[in-house]
Amino acid sequence: MVDYDPNLIGRVFEVTDPVPVTAEMVADFCKATGEGGRSYTDAEAAKKGHLGGIVAPPSFAVTFRNGRQFFEHIPRFGRQGFDAGKDVEFVEPIRPGDTITLSSHVKEIYEKTGRTGSMVFVIVRSTLMNQNGDVVAHVDHRFMNRP
Amino acid sequence: MPERQICYQDVQIGDALGPQELFLSKDQVRAYARTTGMWVPRFTDDEGARKEGLPGMITPGNMSLALLSKLVTDWIGESNAKLVRLGTTYRQPVIPDHTIVLQGFVTHTDDAERTAEMDIWIEDEDTERLVIGTATVKFAE
Repeated sequence: MVDYDPNLIGRVFEVTDPVPVTAEMVADFCKATGEGGRSYTDAEAAKKGHLGGIVAPPSFAVTFRNGRQFFEHIPRFGRQGFDAGKDVEFVEPIRPGDTITLSSHVKEIYEKTGRTGSMVFVIVRSTLMNQNGDVVAHVDHRFMNRP
Repeated sequence: MPERQICYQDVQIGDALGPQELFLSKDQVRAYARTTGMWVPRFTDDEGARKEGLPGMITPGNMSLALLSKLVTDWIGESNAKLVRLGTTYRQPVIPDHTIVLQGFVTHTDDAERTAEMDIWIEDEDTERLVIGTATVKFAE
């Protein structure tokens, strides 16, 4: 069983400064990822669509950087650790003009044994909120460590 | 050409997403790194990446996630539906200046929730699955 301080779970260790989202940021992101849907790139068409205006593509939610303290607060187990994947829940669209704040906590720590030996997974959840206090996304970062 | 529109009733288990073939250039990866504030050697420079023990520059996991998200948003098109969940597992590094294929298929539908679940993945020229994932799309009433 992996040994860790149970008080780590659920405690928010970081809240970032709000980041303003500009139309240019959304356009640059679309260009870099090839997203070309009207809802993301065509202001006139998007206004007539069911979203009522341009929104950022869903994966824009994972571009918000965690603060400097983020990696200092992620529990480490052993020498090797890397980003093994992400689980993202998209709650509300992000729009140009929004300001986004991230708050992060350790959601879960668990151990798994695979073909290559024992691995410890640390799940850190970052919750993104907009200027109205609405949750726009939850991003679960899955970090894998080899003890 | 009008953008794709599908309604929930038309979705069948086994429906394909893609395949989309993409030559992922180093410049495109650098553009993503620049735009998203990930300008670090492992994503921008072969020599710098080798100093970190990598074979050369690699694609950020977040960019792989974004490409898989685009596979799903292309499938949705202009339908009154939205991507509500996306999960990814990074199995192998995605090396730029190679052709990758993005694809997937619908694995489950839920009439009560009006959702479709799908398996999605990125594979290389040898059909090795480098990034795997699942997604959920919810259709409006």
